[in-house]
Amino acid sequence: MRSRPQVLIVEDEPDVLLILRLNLEAAGMDTSLAADGVTALRRIERERPDLVVLDLMLPVLDGWSVLAELCSRGDVPPVIVCSAKRAPRDVARAEELGAVAFVTKPFDVSVLVGTITDVLVGSGWHPEVELGPTPVPLDLEGLEGLEPA
Amino acid sequence: MSYESSEGNERIRREARVVGLRTFSTPSLEAVERRRMQLWVLSALLLISVAVAVALLSLWPVAQRSNNWLLSPRVLRLSIVCLAVAFSAYAIEKEMHLGKLARMLMDERVLTAALTNRLREVSLLLEAGKAINAVLEASLVLDTILRSAVELLGGTSGSVMLIDGDELVTACAQGNASAEGRRIKLGQGIAGRVAVTREALLIDGRADPEEFPGLVERADSPDSALSVPLVSRDQVLGVLNVNAVPGRVFTEYELRALNLFAEQAAVAVMNSRLFEAERAHVSELLELDRMKSDFVALVSHELRTPITSIIAAAATQRRLGIEPHQEEMAQIIERQASRLHAMVEDLLSQARLENEGSLPSAQPVDVAALARLSARDFAVSGRIVEVDGPERLVTLGDPEAVRRVIDNLVENAHKYGAPPIRLEIEEVDHQVRISVLDAGPGIPEADRERVFERFHRLGHSRDPGLGLGLSIVRGLVRASGGEIRLEEAPGGGTAVRVMLPIYDEDREAIG
Repeated sequence: MRSRPQVLIVEDEPDVLLILRLNLEAAGMDTSLAADGVTALRRIERERPDLVVLDLMLPVLDGWSVLAELCSRGDVPPVIVCSAKRAPRDVARAEELGAVAFVTKPFDVSVLVGTITDVLVGSGWHPEVELGPTPVPLDLEGLEGLEPA
Repeated sequence: MSYESSEGNERIRREARVVGLRTFSTPSLEAVERRRMQLWVLSALLLISVAVAVALLSLWPVAQRSNNWLLSPRVLRLSIVCLAVAFSAYAIEKEMHLGKLARMLMDERVLTAALTNRLREVSLLLEAGKAINAVLEASLVLDTILRSAVELLGGTSGSVMLIDGDELVTACAQGNASAEGRRIKLGQGIAGRVAVTREALLIDGRADPEEFPGLVERADSPDSALSVPLVSRDQVLGVLNVNAVPGRVFTEYELRALNLFAEQAAVAVMNSRLFEAERAHVSELLELDRMKSDFVALVSHELRTPITSIIAAAATQRRLGIEPHQEEMAQIIERQASRLHAMVEDLLSQARLENEGSLPSAQPVDVAALARLSARDFAVSGRIVEVDGPERLVTLGDPEAVRRVIDNLVENAHKYGAPPIRLEIEEVDHQVRISVLDAGPGIPEADRERVFERFHRLGHSRDPGLGLGLSIVRGLVRASGGEIRLEEAPGGGTAVRVMLPIYDEDREAIG
């Protein structure tokens, strides 16, 4: 496990991407961004992130298809689903497809960051960073996928 | 009927007893005829025997020589004649009873035949009634009515014609291909007259074109035909026509039977129409229910998106301290709150337009000035709109509504079309025409009406919004007394044309 684990955030809402990047970077993680399912799969293949935060309603290829593809591949990073969908059948389906956690929108930032941290710690990460003001630049640099609306 | 019948049977039994037919509880006409024949043969034999006896007696020497007066030829002849007269009286009396019995049995047979016929017709009517009431689908009902009517009367062909405006249209035809799709004016031809007068008609022989103006001449005109009105709840729905097989002529009795049948048929037609209306209503309600479910799902998802950003931005500020991203977080909150506000406004506007259907204020609105104002505001955010229009062009309406229509159409052109975006204001056919044109890919003709439906979203489903924009625009335009449509722009792209009533300031001022 790297000292700063790599988290891929897959989300098509630019403001949510910004906020998640800011909070995760402040919590000692590196982030990469994808705005659609196809880009997400490509980045997972290419960059082997330590964890994926995945929205379900995505353009081009939706989150369900991404989960199904990862499920069929095997040896993939843990996936935390973060979606406005909240029906029990959606949660069950995500778990069946290998998601390790399901966070519903609107999410509590602390809960989401805590869930991500727990999963990474479970994978062998030792967080050293204290929460506080962060020098992380607040932009979408490195975002791949569709242009945000 | 049963009383008359049992009394008739008793009379027949009484007569049968008199003529010696006791063994027959209900003697047949054949038994009576046999008995009559026996009686005639017996009478003939007896009379021949008497004649022979009288003749022999005249020649019998013993009798002529006898001194006994009892054996004298005169006494013997008299005795034989008396016997013959007595037997003849008996035979005549029996013959009278047998004749009476035969007549009664003949009457009984005729009556039975008539009753059987009537029973068959009633049973056919009942079966037909059951058949037409067993189906509810309009086309099936008409088919069943026609088939039953033709079968009931042993006809060769027929048709059901229904009223459509001021015409009768053949809705169903059997055995007469030329009748299919035929339209005739009410009052014309046989069926047209029946529909107007509500009087059933029996045509005996070929129909006379002079008697029925507008009658369609046919090479295969039937020798006899029946035409009865289909009336339900005092409303004429149409006409039922049945044609006879060649050489046969319908009777008044059959006309009455078809009329009775038509009463049931009309009720079935009416029921099928009610059923169709009910079915359409149910499917409309189901569609509405589905749309409501979709709407709830869409609204909850779309509203959650900005709420997620607002809550997360506020929480981030709290978690990470005020600096260094206070400005960015505040911008996110402001942007997403505005988005939320726009969605709520859209929902309220849609609800208001659906409930009220009209606009609060109607005043002269300078559309050309509003268009320039809108273009200026869009330019602030870098979205260029070319405006082409006169100095002033006025409609009578609500200024906010007109501005919203223009803004929404320009916004859509930027979002889904491609520059250059043009906004044209002009007077066309004494109306104000607002056109928003883009150079994008355009909208296929098949989809042009659907984009105005509620919750229909242009482009990808990921596009933010509730899909109410164009629905609201159309509602506002209609509430302003105008109309909106989509066209292909000259040179490709989409052209949205809005027509609004013009306000003639000069005439109003003079007025």
